[in-house]
Amino acid sequence: MSKLGAVVEAVEKHGLFVLEQVKGARSDEKFAHAVTERWNKIKAETPIAKAPTGLPLPRFALPEIDEPGEIARYLFGEGLPGEFPYLNGAYREMYLEPLREIETGSYGVRAGRAAKSPNGSSEAVAARVSRAKAPERPPLQEEPTRLFSGLMLAEDTNKRFHFLSAHQRSKRLSTAFDGPTLYGIDSDADGVFGKIGEGGVAVDTVEDMVRLYDGFELGAPNFSASMTISGPAPIIMAMYIAAAKRRFGPKVVPNLRGTIQADIFKEVQAQNETIFPTEASLRFLCDMIEWTTANMPRWYPVSISGYHIGEAGATPVQQAAYTLSNGFAYAEMLTARGVPVAQFAPRLSFFLDCGLDVEYIALARVSRKIWAIGMRDVFGANARGQMFKLHTQTSGRSLIAAEFKNNLTRTAAELMLAYMNGTNSCHSNSADEPFTTPSEEWIRLAAHGQAILLEESGIFKHTMNMLSGSPGMKAVERAVEKAILDEFREIESLGGVLAAVENRYQRSQIQNAAHRYEQQIYDGTRPIVGLNRYRNGADEMPEIELARTPRAKQKLQVERLKKFKKKNAEKSKRALDKLATVVERGENCFPALLEAVEVCSLGQITGRLQEIVGRFRPMV
Amino acid sequence: MPSSIRILTAVPICDGHDSAINTINLEFIRHGIEVVYLGFHRYVGDIVRAAIQEDVTAIGISSYNGGHIEFFADVVRQLKKKGADNIAVFGGGGGTITHDDAREMKRKGVDQIFFAGTSLTEMADYVRRQYAKGGKRRASSKPDLALARKLSEIEDAAAKGRKHRTPNTECRTSKVIGFTGPGGAGKTTLIDEIVLRFLQRKPKTRIAILSHDPSVIGEGALLGDRAMMINSQDDRVFMRSMATRGQAGGLSPATESCLALLARSGFDYVIIETVGTGQEALPFRNNLVDQTVLVMNPDYGARLQLQKIVMLDVADIVVVNKTDLERAKAALSEIEQRLTQNKRKQQVVATVAKRHRDPGVDELFELITKAPSSRAKSRDPDA
Repeated sequence: MSKLGAVVEAVEKHGLFVLEQVKGARSDEKFAHAVTERWNKIKAETPIAKAPTGLPLPRFALPEIDEPGEIARYLFGEGLPGEFPYLNGAYREMYLEPLREIETGSYGVRAGRAAKSPNGSSEAVAARVSRAKAPERPPLQEEPTRLFSGLMLAEDTNKRFHFLSAHQRSKRLSTAFDGPTLYGIDSDADGVFGKIGEGGVAVDTVEDMVRLYDGFELGAPNFSASMTISGPAPIIMAMYIAAAKRRFGPKVVPNLRGTIQADIFKEVQAQNETIFPTEASLRFLCDMIEWTTANMPRWYPVSISGYHIGEAGATPVQQAAYTLSNGFAYAEMLTARGVPVAQFAPRLSFFLDCGLDVEYIALARVSRKIWAIGMRDVFGANARGQMFKLHTQTSGRSLIAAEFKNNLTRTAAELMLAYMNGTNSCHSNSADEPFTTPSEEWIRLAAHGQAILLEESGIFKHTMNMLSGSPGMKAVERAVEKAILDEFREIESLGGVLAAVENRYQRSQIQNAAHRYEQQIYDGTRPIVGLNRYRNGADEMPEIELARTPRAKQKLQVERLKKFKKKNAEKSKRALDKLATVVERGENCFPALLEAVEVCSLGQITGRLQEIVGRFRPMV
Repeated sequence: MPSSIRILTAVPICDGHDSAINTINLEFIRHGIEVVYLGFHRYVGDIVRAAIQEDVTAIGISSYNGGHIEFFADVVRQLKKKGADNIAVFGGGGGTITHDDAREMKRKGVDQIFFAGTSLTEMADYVRRQYAKGGKRRASSKPDLALARKLSEIEDAAAKGRKHRTPNTECRTSKVIGFTGPGGAGKTTLIDEIVLRFLQRKPKTRIAILSHDPSVIGEGALLGDRAMMINSQDDRVFMRSMATRGQAGGLSPATESCLALLARSGFDYVIIETVGTGQEALPFRNNLVDQTVLVMNPDYGARLQLQKIVMLDVADIVVVNKTDLERAKAALSEIEQRLTQNKRKQQVVATVAKRHRDPGVDELFELITKAPSSRAKSRDPDA
């Protein structure tokens, strides 16, 4: 049995544990008293603050229950925001406006802890419950807005980064790479001219990486970079570190903050941007995770991504099930290598798609719960390692070219769902995305959509749990949780995640779902406004600022690369030989990569590695 | 009515967006079209070579990652250069290809661009209307082109119930190797790894591959082996994908004649891959091949199942692939025991074809290249 089977058992066991607590609270007077006492304490200590209209509201809302069994069901089954199993949120206050003046109530010193073991006797639990303190005052959160960008050459993207982050107190950059970079191919390779700088930024060398983040304080606490790349991620990660060292010296390394996507499983299952055979890719990935979690404690070295699985056509349940099971598979691999769970678990992060299907009302909530239970009970992770830290992007697939301005409404509805799920950060798509790299006008509208929801509207800024826990949401939660566990069982029966991947199980499931979706659009059972209903016939196009890379720029990139290669011809050969030796020996290759990127291009490194481990063989 | 529309579809280099093309392929097949699918992240040169070898009437390209103006134009240009400008180029890219782009692409020789919102049926109808075979084609002096067209003539004749030529194994100049075995055993991957070894170790050797996928008479087929064959996209490899067009047993009605032609067209080796076969299948009869390779998966079930696999009696080499799986050890010893009954000199090779530089595949390569060809007057140019 792979660990996935154990996760299914743990989630089921947790369900039974919650039922026991409910029963205990109804039959055991002492326990009932402890539960009620804690509940009253939480309520009494919840700060109350005024909305701009003067209306006083609690900082987090609790259900109106006073029966000990129901209180136990809530506290153990859902947890307060920031408490196991994190159904209501990974953190206590998320998007709340910083507290200015407190009406009543106060924050205690340390946050209350949830029960540790599902096997604890009700008395022990009762003792823990009554000892629990009031929540601590949370630190100021970063804005959750994180916008994806990347175009032409490094200096062009740099300029866009400065434009996007000009008015943000925290600089959170998210980088898109061009096709050749995503496939580990150099800009001077045969057949890629025309693709350079298209759909993302061209990065061939550490020098490009230096240009890309020029003017940003890479080690600053308010800076974080996100890089959306998986196939060659370990090489790009090494380039980022090398670039940071060039600008700020070696001491900057432990302070680097950010995320690199690096999710190989989802590439093989859905996105197809992988360059080495699956097992070799996973090995390089684990090399990188092992190194970065030991040396860069603030970096997220893998973003376990359902987004591309969703975009490739998976149903929401498939998306969550494959993403979570991929996450558990990474945890299993890292544990097998001997990386301590306390070292890697807090550094795993997640990325989900948010579309318009009803499942999205609760998809991330349920995912948070399953992840927490699995990590605690199967992998023995501590609280930081149980948290499902989530970046969400609204669905690109839900946006259509026909009558494209409707996409604003689609994205707004998806944003609402994403925030209802308590995502930690969010990207809202531009309405013109079906056409091209988004233009500044539509990017601004997309970003402002988030500000309108979070800052202008009162939906999320006054009270946590504003929309959690409605009967409809609970119904979706139960159905989604059951369906996800069923998917886990299916994958387990195929021999676990890697075996299922190699049998192309996830791929064919996703393709079938994609086909069904298209069929539903064409037979009208899936209504799409402007496409299969309320069509006005006159398709309008946005004024496209064609963000296409001029030939001259593409040539410039090729020339720069050639110059770099010429300059480093001697040194690169030695660095590649050293890298090859390390890889052949089966050692962690990341330190050798860090040296290699100083003098080698991305394509040179990829090419050498492919000679040793082979190329990825696509699955149809 | 035999299927007479045959197109190739692909996704350009540095582009992994295959969701749209997968759906479109299925729709084309439903409309009776044979689709040779080359996969995603494909170079222009690979697309053009495949289109010529497969003798398709059109190439459909699904592009979502930009650079489409250059890419489509390059396909048109290279087709022309190779004397294959009778092959039309069409495609789409959702909203990423604008109307202005499409006009420019058409000016550069692209036949048609489909925009977002075009229904699947509309596309399939267009292909059926525009790309049906027909019309006289100029004779070609280019060897791949001429060979590809002759193979099509053989297939068309077979579809009409005529045999094109009696195969004469005496005229062969190639060694012919037949790969067969159940679906999912990894035949395609194994062949591609063998081809890689030919390309790396035998710099003059030329290879032809005849690969089969199942289809029903008069209906379309998805010919998808090429998409997985990353090493076989090379000028020294001529590959042809055939639909079985209703014939049982793993081959097509035209296989024998096509093989006869290929085996005297200057290739050193011809490799045939059958579709995934059942226990009773004996696809290679009448001295069709010089050497048979049966590829098996360790998960064949109970030991008793082995007794029923008749290919085990006649195969020259039995490959047990995926020997990284748990059951592999047991499978290998059961198969070896089963073969002792035959009292023939049969070789058993254990491989993990998905692994680069797998020693088992090296061993298979040795067995294929060392064994003399029994009938053909083949020679190894690199020997």
